[in-house]
This record gives sequence, C-alpha cells and structure tokens, in this order.
Amino acid sequence: MDAHIKKVYVPMTETGFYILLCLQEPNHGYGVVQKVKDLTNDAICLAPGTMYGSLSKMEKDGLITFLREEEKRKIYQITNLGREVLELEGKRIERLYGNMKEMMS
Amino acid sequence: MRETKKELKFFTIPAYRKEEEYLSKMHAKGWRLTRVSWPCVYHFEKCEPENVSYRLDYNQEGVAHKNEYVQMFADCGWEYLFDFVGYSYFRKVAGEGQENEEIFCDDASRLEMMRRVFKGRVTPLIVIFFCMILPQLSMNAFGYGGGSRAQDVIALCFVALAALYLVLFSAFAVQFYQYEKNLDITDNKYKAKYVGVAALMIFFVVFIGSVFWLSR
Repeated sequence: MDAHIKKVYVPMTETGFYILLCLQEPNHGYGVVQKVKDLTNDAICLAPGTMYGSLSKMEKDGLITFLREEEKRKIYQITNLGREVLELEGKRIERLYGNMKEMMS
Repeated sequence: MRETKKELKFFTIPAYRKEEEYLSKMHAKGWRLTRVSWPCVYHFEKCEPENVSYRLDYNQEGVAHKNEYVQMFADCGWEYLFDFVGYSYFRKVAGEGQENEEIFCDDASRLEMMRRVFKGRVTPLIVIFFCMILPQLSMNAFGYGGGSRAQDVIALCFVALAALYLVLFSAFAVQFYQYEKNLDITDNKYKAKYVGVAALMIFFVVFIGSVFWLSR
C-alpha cells in the first residue's frame, strides 16, 4: 500500500468505512445506504452526494472495483487493496475502543 | 397555461448555499423552479406553496455519467431538475422531521465538493486573470503604442475588471476557509472579515493601477 492511500484513507470517514464494510459483498450505492441504515438502526443515513463522490473516488484509487450495471445502478465490490485498508482501519478502531474501555472503567 | 415568472439574480460562484435558500423560499411562496438560463435568470411557475429543499451539487463525473448519477439521487428521494454551468439541481419535499435534508452527510465530502468547484470554475478565472487581465491592464496603463485617452479609459476598465475578479477570488477564499474550519457562514464576525478582505483587494488593484498610470 503506498503512502498516498494510507494518508488519505487512514483514518477514514465513517462513510468510507461503512462503504468498504458493506462492499465485501457486491452491492450498489443505494444498497449500501440501506444496509447502513439497518446496521445502525437509522442513526446513519448516507446522503447521495457523499455516496457518489466517495464511490467514484474509491474506484479511482483502486479500493473498490466496478462489476456490472443493473438498472442504471453500478454494482461495486471491494478489492484486495480495499481489504487491506479496511483491516488497517479496523485495527485502529480496535485500539481506540480498547483504550476507551481501559481508561473509562 | 400556468402563471410563470422570471427573476434575475446573481450569486457568486461559491454561494450555492444562498442559492439553495433562495429557491426553497420561492417554493414556499408558491413558485416552483422550472429552469435557469443565461446569465442568471431563474424561471418559475405557480404552484402550491410547499416546504421543499433545493440542493446543488457540482460533479463533472456525475454529469458525464448522467444515468447512474441521477439514479443514485432518485433512490434517495431527490428529484433531478437540470444542469446549469456545471451545477446539478435537485429538490425534495421536506417530510415530517426531515426539514433541511442534505445531499452531503459529512464535512469531508462537503469540502470535496468545494474542491471540485474550485477546479472547475475558479481555476479558469485565475488563468484569465493572469494571462489576460493583468497583461492588458499593465500594457494599457503604460500606454503601449501611443498612450491615447482611449487607452486610459481601457486601462480603467481593466482596473475595474481586475477588482471584480479579486473580489470573487477573495469571496471564494474566505468561504473555502470557513468550510475548512467548519465555521458558521452566517456569523457576522466573518462577514465583516470578508468585506474587509474584499476592500483590501480593491484598494490594492486601484493602487497598482494608479502607480502604473502615474509612472508613465
């Protein structure tokens, strides 16, 4: 993973994190929006401008890849690079959470 | 035939927030936006007054891949209207407890949009400013090729043009700064700052212009 990707994506936005998390299975943008709504009990509602911008940026950076188009919706899936970023970010959040538990108990 | 009306209204390039507010207000008064035409004419038709959010996006990639772009917004409940000079216009009826819904849900993507506006709209202005306006201003002010009265008038026109450009640049710079720092744009403290920066810029251009003019 090159330094640029690391700098831009670690730490990443909540939107970016949920996109990568959900795209471990093929899905389109709106599918991700719905899934995140379910996962967070409606607490996080991803907006279309943010989604469109993030998806095209992540595709350009090679974190996700375009599979096919279904009814005008682009289906994406995570790439190996995307998985690496997700794992790195997961570890960071784990550390954050661990430290919080330690300090707050 | 529905009753229609037109309004000429200017917003500076980065002031899309104000434009959105204006369009929502018009809709609340019973005027629905139908199109925007050159230079900045807003066309409305009479409708039932309704609480509707208007939102502008600036995404050249979206405009190039219109189908999927519009579909994404449609899935989220946004009606696509049209594009005008790079901006895409969307609207959505505000439901219960859903007033002021946004098309961006984090600051990173809001800033990203500002960057796209900057690349698409402000960079060409900067190029025009340095490659055309400044050289023309100095050539006419120095009186290349004669130094007639007409050239003085032209020089003054270019001073005015340069001042206008600098005001636009400073407006953009200040707004960009505010976005980056996540500041409240309606705060009067920053409005004063904004006017201050603009005034300084004008003063600077007039000063440079008169130095050129006097030094002949």
